[in-house]
Amino acid sequence: MAKEKTYICIGCPLGCEVTLTIDKKGGVVGFSGNKCKEGEKYVLEEYTNPVRTLTATVLTEGSSQPLLAVRSNKPILKTKLAQSMAVLAKARAKPPLKMGDIIVPNLLDTGADIVASSDLSS
Amino acid sequence: MKLQDVDVAVIGAGPAGMAAAIKAREAGAEKVILMERAEELGGLLHQCVHNGFGLLYFNEDLSGPEYGHRFIEKVMDTGVTPLLETMVVRLGQDRQIGAVNTREGFITFRPKSIVLAMGCRERSRGALNIPGTRPAGVLTAGTAQRFVNVEGFVPGKKIVILGSGDIGMIMARRLTLEGAQVEAVVEILPYIGGLIRNEVQCLHDFEIPLFLEHTVTRIHGEQRLEAVTIARVDGQRNPVAGTQRVIACDSLLLSVGLIPENELSLMAGIQLDPVTGGALVDETRQTTVPGVFAGGNVLHVHDLVDNVSWESELAGESAARFAAAGKPEARGEIKVKAGRNIRYVVPQTISGRKDTTLYMRVSEPEETVRIKVGNITTKGMRAVKPSEMLKIELSADKLEKLKEGTQEIIVDCEKRGGK
Ligand code: SF4
Repeated sequence: MAKEKTYICIGCPLGCEVTLTIDKKGGVVGFSGNKCKEGEKYVLEEYTNPVRTLTATVLTEGSSQPLLAVRSNKPILKTKLAQSMAVLAKARAKPPLKMGDIIVPNLLDTGADIVASSDLSS
Repeated sequence: MKLQDVDVAVIGAGPAGMAAAIKAREAGAEKVILMERAEELGGLLHQCVHNGFGLLYFNEDLSGPEYGHRFIEKVMDTGVTPLLETMVVRLGQDRQIGAVNTREGFITFRPKSIVLAMGCRERSRGALNIPGTRPAGVLTAGTAQRFVNVEGFVPGKKIVILGSGDIGMIMARRLTLEGAQVEAVVEILPYIGGLIRNEVQCLHDFEIPLFLEHTVTRIHGEQRLEAVTIARVDGQRNPVAGTQRVIACDSLLLSVGLIPENELSLMAGIQLDPVTGGALVDETRQTTVPGVFAGGNVLHVHDLVDNVSWESELAGESAARFAAAGKPEARGEIKVKAGRNIRYVVPQTISGRKDTTLYMRVSEPEETVRIKVGNITTKGMRAVKPSEMLKIELSADKLEKLKEGTQEIIVDCEKRGGK
């Protein structure tokens, strides 16, 4: 039996609901609902490799500023977001830091680093 | 710098003010000051830790602080003089500025030209009049954003968000990632108020329930918020009897719109547009008071910061030209009016002699349309939504097509025929 999965394409304000038909082995056999080719590309990516940039904050130590804004320098699998937050909860940012400095290297073996989104002084 | 010699004074150092001040310097204004009531440059960008900034302006996906950083550095490099912790409290018709700070007390001066870049503020509960008690735990989405991203505490454990604007949806994701439970996002309209990418990446990704055509009809709780009642609304946006449900929660976030901050503009006698809540401007972004320009969210609420930066650069450049000439250029006299399915157009007047970009929003979502500016037809669009600003660029050549003696042009969003 073929399975169906539905996504909303974010390619343009139309926001087409695109339905993927997937065969028993998980292979994509069809698209419907997309009003242009962009939709196929987007949905295929969302099905096989849905990634997001993680943005958050980490607690600081030795700064008058309680938090430092951070981000992943590459998008990571969206299924890893919650686990990543647990890692960030334990991390501490110590000044001085410059925007782009690495706070957590190779987050959960994703190959992405968590980096400072702004400078941090004491 | 002696304040008496200022060429261009920019009020507000958020993204709009920074872009305007930088551009004014680049356009040749010698003495440019950037007045800001907070302790640092950058405005709200510091608390917008999420990404999605600069996709158009820099062709990069930046976080708010990163986007701000680039402009702060440029403010310094171009020799703009920031005047921090200084609040402008007076603005006269003659461009006289009155401001206060703890160093000099009350200061007054009269720059050659001014750019208004005060931004906007959030509509609050008072503006909405939700019935019920007044417990703690009801706050705007932007205040919650400051608590979570800057001060370092999460305002509640069970959250309901009223309004599906971008800040509300972004806070739904942020609070979920921080361990809170977002019980519902409630939107009175039949469609979301923010960008589609935020609906997908902030709500769907975390399976946060979205209630369209619903609103909060009652607030419950004595000391602390305990629950809200929500109900479906009819076509007139009135609650439908029998559709109420109570949702237990300890916090209600309001993401119900932004209002341009124009108290100073009114003081100076600047005429405002009742629809945008910002000044009436021509294509140089000059207001109805000569030598006073405006850009960014103080003029009309933008969808993307990239557009704020571009528009404010235009205001800054015009202010530099005015400061150099010492007198106004001929003001655009052709009125631009919103027609079919257009809520507003900025600028409200144009000269028809220069390349001009019209910014506009539609009233209702519509598919397969094109924008007509008077007798000029512009590009077709697959879909338009009130949440996404439209930008129509018209070259001076194109504008020549307007009939001689045109006094008013109407901008329509028309249905495209065919397939
Ligand atoms: S499929 Fe094409 S038309 Fe539909 S939302 Fe995506 S980009 Fe827009």
